[in-house]
Amino acid sequence: MPIDPILPRIQAPTVDFNADDRRVGFGNEFAAKMDAALSNVSERLNVADVRLARVASGEEADIHGTMIALQEADISLRMMVSVRDEAVEAYEKIMNMQV
Amino acid sequence: MDFLDVFSVSASGLTAQRVRLQAVASNMANARSTRTEDGQGPYQRKLTVFQSESLNFDDELGAAMERVHVTDVVASQEPATLVYDPGHPDADEDGYVAYPNVNILEEMVDMMTTSRMYEANTNVVRTTRQLADTALSIGR
Repeated sequence: MPIDPILPRIQAPTVDFNADDRRVGFGNEFAAKMDAALSNVSERLNVADVRLARVASGEEADIHGTMIALQEADISLRMMVSVRDEAVEAYEKIMNMQV
Repeated sequence: MDFLDVFSVSASGLTAQRVRLQAVASNMANARSTRTEDGQGPYQRKLTVFQSESLNFDDELGAAMERVHVTDVVASQEPATLVYDPGHPDADEDGYVAYPNVNILEEMVDMMTTSRMYEANTNVVRTTRQLADTALSIGR
């Protein structure tokens, strides 16, 4: 029974780190997604912040809209933090691996 | 359909109920207004018209969810209440005063319905938030 060679499978990924399109590599894809999510969360926080200021100064009376904007920002932020925690945890596990 | 879309739908419900409460407030305040700014008879009871509208989601399930939109605030076409009061400056030649077609009891019921519906929508928001919290606690 022929046994498949294991070596070719575990060869390094063929990403040319000198090429211009290296940003779409494996690690950078995650970074790009995190970046997009982060800017999304940031935008929600800004919206909530602006609306809160407007309610506080009496310019806007849409209390429930502002509260919902706050909740959206809160959930988005905590979702973001959870994802980051998971990523950091995975990183730490790899760093603590006994090689 | 994610949590934030539920917020969007519930927010539209809250806004709709707030507009309805404004109409009730207007009706209550003007329950005895026998003239309007343009001089066209007594105040007419204000009614709100709600319409559902799709959120235009990409997925089929989401497209079935609809938010509510206040399309119009219209004047009720019910006839005015005629009360015999010859001393009133707005009385007609027969001594009858046209009072608004507002029934305070009906307005009270409307107000309570509005209040309960607002609370119901708030509860949807709260539950959605709790669900999101529960989902986020999976990783902990």
